[in-house]
Amino acid sequence: MLLTDTFKSAYTAITAHRMRSILTMLGIIIGVGSVVLMVSVGRSFERYVLDQVESFSSHLIEVYPTGFEKFGRTLDSLSFADYEAVLKLTTVKDVAPVIFIREKVSVGTEEISPNIFGTTHHFFSNYSLKLRDGRILNDSDFKGARSVAVLGFQAAEDLFGPNNPLENRIRIGQRFYTVVGVMDTVGSALLQDLDSFVYVPFTTARAQTGQKFMSYMTMKATIEDDALAMADVTSLLRQRHGIENPDNNYDKDDFRARSASQATEIVGTVGLGLTAFIGLIAGISLIVGGIGIMNIMLVSVTERTREIGLRKALGATRQDIMRQFLIEAVALTMLGGTIGIIGGAVIGAVLTAVASKFVGHVPFLLSIPALLSAAGMALAVGLLFGIVPARKAADLSPMEAIRWEG
Amino acid sequence: MPKKTKKTAAPLIETQNLHKSYFSEELETAVLHGINLTIHEEEFISIMGPSGSGKSTLMHILGFLDQPTQGKYLFRGEPTRTMTDDELAAIRATRVSFVFQAFNLLPRTSVLDNVMLPLLYHPTIPASERIDRSMEAIRAVDLTDRALYYTNQLSGGQQQRVAIARALVTDPDVIFADEPTGNLDSTSGNQVMEVLQNLHEQGGRTIILVTHEQSTAAHAKRIIHLKDGLVDSDVQSFKRISAKTNNTLEK
Ligand SMILES: Nc1ncnc2c1ncn2[C@@H]1O[C@H](COP(=O)(O)OP(=O)(O)OP(=O)(O)O)[C@@H](O)[C@H]1O
Ligand SMILES: [Mg+2]
Repeated sequence: MLLTDTFKSAYTAITAHRMRSILTMLGIIIGVGSVVLMVSVGRSFERYVLDQVESFSSHLIEVYPTGFEKFGRTLDSLSFADYEAVLKLTTVKDVAPVIFIREKVSVGTEEISPNIFGTTHHFFSNYSLKLRDGRILNDSDFKGARSVAVLGFQAAEDLFGPNNPLENRIRIGQRFYTVVGVMDTVGSALLQDLDSFVYVPFTTARAQTGQKFMSYMTMKATIEDDALAMADVTSLLRQRHGIENPDNNYDKDDFRARSASQATEIVGTVGLGLTAFIGLIAGISLIVGGIGIMNIMLVSVTERTREIGLRKALGATRQDIMRQFLIEAVALTMLGGTIGIIGGAVIGAVLTAVASKFVGHVPFLLSIPALLSAAGMALAVGLLFGIVPARKAADLSPMEAIRWEG
Repeated sequence: MPKKTKKTAAPLIETQNLHKSYFSEELETAVLHGINLTIHEEEFISIMGPSGSGKSTLMHILGFLDQPTQGKYLFRGEPTRTMTDDELAAIRATRVSFVFQAFNLLPRTSVLDNVMLPLLYHPTIPASERIDRSMEAIRAVDLTDRALYYTNQLSGGQQQRVAIARALVTDPDVIFADEPTGNLDSTSGNQVMEVLQNLHEQGGRTIILVTHEQSTAAHAKRIIHLKDGLVDSDVQSFKRISAKTNNTLEK
């Protein structure tokens, strides 16, 4: 039998049994499509989260006080002298001390309870916060302990609605501040809390609260390796606080430094776990899809066995039969697999595009390993359940095959 | 399509002490108990006998659709037992054709494609001749105007004629027909018999026909009766009926 005839026979058999062919392909399409879709979307969102964390905080180091929480009191281990000392380190820069003011903020009858940061202009650059209107806090605000405030995008909207907040006064606790700037929205679902923050000069916050210590401080590493810069800060502070801690037992410290790259790693691990989980679900759907294909192929075995018997009765050799069924199975699985891959990728791209509208740019990552394993599995299932019954049928005498009852 | 004569010393078909048993789950059903037959080219033979006597079983063996359990089957003097799978396939493709009671056509496939199907497996007929040969066979069963219909759009009688065209298209040495009119009403049954008889009389073809009906068997020149898996009688028929003069087959 000519190879072109074999292709023609396969084509005729596929089109003559349109429903059977479509159902077989449907199993493959759903199996392959869902694997590609789920794994790709999982990877895309993992990338999205990492991008968010990185864009917002590369080389960022934060130092917190730690120890036993005393009831009703904040931890007081980080002194202003610590701040002055850290300023002198060359491995970090842009050190911004922070004091929280725990008060309500009001304008007329509008009242909100935001996080109020007493800090310096470095704070804004450390977290890559962008200004929308007016100005951010500056050096003379710091030196003069001036009563000026910068509002987060949401805080401005909550307090002033459609009105321009600039040069207007707000009340924080018992003290009045003049609004000198409004920050831009961070435009990300993950970080949207930042939009409701209120910022005042560090010195003003210190005066208003009477606090003698920092709530925390933030800085940027000047060297590539955040961990080294962090170690530098840590050893300086241990020395200043008289803590002997050569084996890095954090329980002995009364503070804790952490870098955003650590957070990135954590997110990365979580993302990996998520991908693995999604992969598992996808694998299950692949198996379900495979069983679907298997069922349809097994259901049609009786019909196919009789057809094989007839073809043998008309002179087909074993090889003719096997070739035709091989081509049929490959054609169906490849076609179904291709549709599944394209379908999964398109739906994934649409989903991330829709998500981008709400939570900021979500990149679309097509998972090639998922794609390949899905295609491979589909091919294997298609071949196995297309070829094995065909081989059995081809081994029967023509009459045994024609009379097959299943 | 006049039949080319290939006269050889050996008869077309010769069986010696042919046995066949079916096996299912340790259970042996012995069906043929030693069939001895000699069939020559250009014979028109009817095989008759009660239901279950082994007519179909014998036909399937003679038509290379099944293997005997014991005994010799010589085709043109060649023992068939030692033939390889591919040799058997080649004989099915070129030498013998089968017409089934249940038609066994591919559904949702055109008459032309069905008739052409054996040519796909034919080792020597070139692809360029397929359509012409198929149309010629379709013309011989008078279905030219239905050539592009799907087989499931035809009547039973028409479907059986498609099956005969398919049996004809490879120009085989012998055509086996197992109750070809069994699923048909008398008018279409008679048309089918007319086609077979023409193939024999004008084409000089060897035809072996199984039937229950005396009237159908009477079209043949030789009638073999089977009973309980053995040849009960084997007689030349003298009062042949022509399908052309006998408008309806008696059921
Ligand atoms: N595949 C099979 N497995 C087991 N037994 C079978 C098989 N095919 C046929 N038989 C048995 O062999 C015997 C002969 O069957 P066969 O079909 O040859 O009879 P037949 O003469 O053609 O009958 P009918 O006139 O009804 O077609 C029957 O008893 C039948 O039950
Ligand atoms: Mg029978």
